[in-house]
This record gives sequence, structure tokens and C-alpha cells, in this order.
Amino acid sequence: MSNYTDHKKYEDYEFEDFLSDEFFVQWVKSPSENTLHFWEKWLISNPQKREMVTEAASFVRSIQYKENFEFTDEAYIQVFENILKADLEVPSHNTIPSKMDTWYSFFSVRRAAAILLIGFSCWALYETQNFSDSEKASIEWITKVNEAGKKTVLHLNDGTVIHLNSNSKISYPKTFTESSRVISMEGEAFFDVKKEGRPFIVEVKDAKVEVLGTSFNVNSAVEGKLEVALVSGKVKVNDKLGNQVMLAPMEMIVLEDNGKIHKQDFDVRSVTGWKDKYLVFSDDDFDTVVQKIETWYGVDIHTAGKFNAQWAYTGQYYDESLENVLEGIAQTSKIQYKIKGKEVEITH
Amino acid sequence: MNRNPKEQPNSTFIPSKHFETVKVFEEKSDCDIWNAFNKGDEMAFNYLYRTYVQELYQFGSQYSRDSSLVKDSIQNLFIYLRKKRGDLKEVTNIKGYLFRSIQREIIKNIKANTSIEGFEESFLDSHFQIVVSPEVSFIKSESETERKIQLQRGLSQLTTKQRKAILLFYEEELSYKEIAEIMNFSEVKTARKLIYRALASLKEFIKPTSY
Repeated sequence: MSNYTDHKKYEDYEFEDFLSDEFFVQWVKSPSENTLHFWEKWLISNPQKREMVTEAASFVRSIQYKENFEFTDEAYIQVFENILKADLEVPSHNTIPSKMDTWYSFFSVRRAAAILLIGFSCWALYETQNFSDSEKASIEWITKVNEAGKKTVLHLNDGTVIHLNSNSKISYPKTFTESSRVISMEGEAFFDVKKEGRPFIVEVKDAKVEVLGTSFNVNSAVEGKLEVALVSGKVKVNDKLGNQVMLAPMEMIVLEDNGKIHKQDFDVRSVTGWKDKYLVFSDDDFDTVVQKIETWYGVDIHTAGKFNAQWAYTGQYYDESLENVLEGIAQTSKIQYKIKGKEVEITH
Repeated sequence: MNRNPKEQPNSTFIPSKHFETVKVFEEKSDCDIWNAFNKGDEMAFNYLYRTYVQELYQFGSQYSRDSSLVKDSIQNLFIYLRKKRGDLKEVTNIKGYLFRSIQREIIKNIKANTSIEGFEESFLDSHFQIVVSPEVSFIKSESETERKIQLQRGLSQLTTKQRKAILLFYEEELSYKEIAEIMNFSEVKTARKLIYRALASLKEFIKPTSY
């Protein structure tokens, strides 16, 4: 290990070689399909290096700025507005207005500002540390349960708004402690967290999502995994194995029960539309469509006939009746349906 | 088989295009995003601002504790870039480009505001300080706290240049190529060497005894 080299093979790598490898750092800090695929395979075929790799990964993650300088929401808006204002001060050229000039029109500038208002830089921490159970025990907890077909909006006394989806459950203390705001949940919920000094912690499955103020969707209703989708801000994810992943705005992290983690993009309407009464199907197979309708309307669906694997349905419905949704699907997807109270029969 | 109910005039389908604003850019390469910005696409500008402004502020604050100087520099940079739209050069790594630009802008403004002759970043020993994250655990260590103290000690012996390169490499996830450009090295391998030597000097602090 006396001089660095690009040509060394990974199997001959020493501690420092991993640490100075761009591809390795990428995998540790922002795993992509590409890096995950490579390094997972590599670790399986080089088990003797596993410990060294884990240690090197810990080193990479442990490096951080000593001081954090936060660009506040006020600064975010102020600087943004000043940048746009500077556009309007540009002396107009004596040329014929081009297409580009219309981009700078007052209205498009205003629209840009409105879209940005939701993009405050926030900080969310997702971690696995434990909170003292004794603190929890002395607090009076309120529990809300939504059966299938029911959705509720909860306004907590700290200003946080929670949309609780059907088939979901949430528990929160009557009053939060002075040090933190802890709630626990099952199923799916959308959080619009009021920013303040105390962290906001969501306990879900065996994981914890900690935020300081941001809006995000947590979905543990899908068997075998937990999905956290961030609408705005930044998220740092630490799982129980010490893995750490940074999430950019509009990214979703999926934690599988077997410990696997991956990031993916998400469509805001598909993931969070439920809270605004949008029932969204996006290339869903038949089972998913059935399950979504059952949960949404609180009905039991019986099926008859053959549905091949190619069957898929895409569509969005706003605050629509069960009959209209089934009619919409029937029109394009050759199904027949019968509604008898809380029972639905679908044939193909 | 994606059946689209849009063809049905009676259904309440809403085109999903309207909701996919920023997401559009997430999937694009830096080159494409930059080209869109250069062509005057306001959403591309929104994307750049919201994606990089916090990182620029954190990085810029390493040079100056004067938060209004850093904010003004960021503001000036974006105003400049917007005015130059249509004539901007191609950029393949936006973060690297913005870091280089904000560094230049901030140093220019510090020089204008201070009487210090020949401001050099190497003077700034207090800048680009690193701390070992308390959240990360080293599995192998018998005494984890001791291990972190050791590593912290090792880090504090690095030069400002080395610390800057280490932070750009690990915390900011920039490539050697970008680091070389930000640090004004004519060759990429200079950045590689700088980090490799920093790691070598940290070796005794970071290596568990068994290897």
C-alpha cells in the first residue's frame, strides 16, 4: 500500500483503496441500481472482505461538516424573490420580443414563485434509535382507527396536520412532551409537520422517521416493506444496520423487511393523491385494482372469470362514487360488475 | 397493456402531466437540465434553485461567517446565470459548476469587503472543519467512543486543503474531476493524490488493528 493506483482489482483492495474509490463512495452515499447491483454481488463473492467494506463504509458516512449552516425559509424566499425581481429590472432591448421574453412575463414569474413555496429546505431524519419507554408510559395516548372506506384529517395541537388513510391506525399523546413529538402508526398516512424546535418522530414498523418540519407520506400498508415519500426537503435515512442514504426532494425510499433499501422516483399524485380524494390507478394489475377499491370504499369484491397477467389499468378519479369508478374501468377494460350493498361482483 | 381512459369523454381522468413538475427534471441528465435552463425554462431554474441553494449556502459559509455576504453571493450568481441564458456554455456536472462559481463569487466579495491583502483560502485554518458523525457506528471497535476520538484527532491534523477535499469527496459526493476543478488543479490526479495522502495520514487512526 505504498502508492495509489487505478488498476488494482477490487478483490485486492485494502481499506484505503475502498476509501479512495469513487464508485465505492457512490454506493455508500447514494446507492443507485447500478452500484447496488455491483456491490451486493461483489460482497457475496468476497465474504472475507465484508468486514473491511463495512468499516470503510462507516468511515465514509462519518465524515461531515462540523458546522451546519441552514438556509432558512425566510432566506429561501427572499433570495428567490430578489433573483426574479432582477429579471424585471433588465432594461428592455430594442429588439422584437422573442419567445423567450414571454418567459419573463409577470405571470409566469409569479407562478414560478408559487410552485417554489412548497420547496422549503427541510431536514428529516430517519433513524432507529430508541426512545425511553418510561417517558412513553406516563403519557395519555389517543388512538384513531380508520376502517376500510374511511379517511380522516387530524389537526394536532402543535399545528401538524395528518391525513390518515383507510385501513390505518394512528396513536399520539394528548399533549406532546417538551423534548419531542412522537406518534406511532400502522397503514398509510400523509404528514404536514409544523416546523418547530422539537423533532417530530413517526414510529412505524420497527423503524423511526424523524423530521423537523416537512411534508411526506408514510406507507406501511404494502406487505413486506415500508415506503417513505418526501414531497419537499431533504431526508437522511439510517437503518438498523447503519446504512445511510440521502434523499433528494421528490424521492421515495423503500425499506424492505429483509433489510434491503432502495430509492426511487415517485409520482406525487399516485402516492399522495389519496389525501385529496384522488383514487389513482397507475398501470395496476387486477389484484391491485381490487385491493384499492376494497380499501377505498370499504366493500368486498368477488371475482369470476380469467384475468391474464397483461391486464393493467391506469386512471384517476376525483371524489367519485363506486359505481362511476367501476363504470370507468368497465368502459375500457371489458369487465362487468354488479353492486349489492357492500358486496361487488366483477366478471371478465 | 396500458388502457387509458382519457379516450372516454365521460370518465374523470386528469392528465398526470400537470402534477409532474419537478419530477421531470429528476430523471434528466445534468446536461439536459442545464440546456433547458439555458433555453429559458422557468421550471429548470426552479429545480436548480431548490436543489442546490442549501448546498451552496453550506459550502459558501465555509469561506465566510457573514451570512448576508454568502446570501448575496448566491443571489448574484443566480441573477448572473439568468441574465446569461441563451449564451451559457454546456455544463455536464451542475453541482461542480455551481460550487466553482459560488467559490469565485464569495472570494471576490470577501476581497472587496476586507482590507486583507491577497486573501488566500489556505489562510483559513478554521474553515472546512470536519466532525465525526455521532450517528455512525463502527461495528468492529471494542471501544467505539475511543475510536471516534482517535479519528477526530487524526482529522484535526489535516491541512485545510485536505479537509476541503475530504468534505467535497465524501460529504458533497463530488468526483475527483470536479474536486480538481473546484480546487484549481490542472490535473485530476492531483485531487486523487491529495485525498489518498490525507487517507494515508489518517490510516493509523481509522484502521482497525486487525488489518
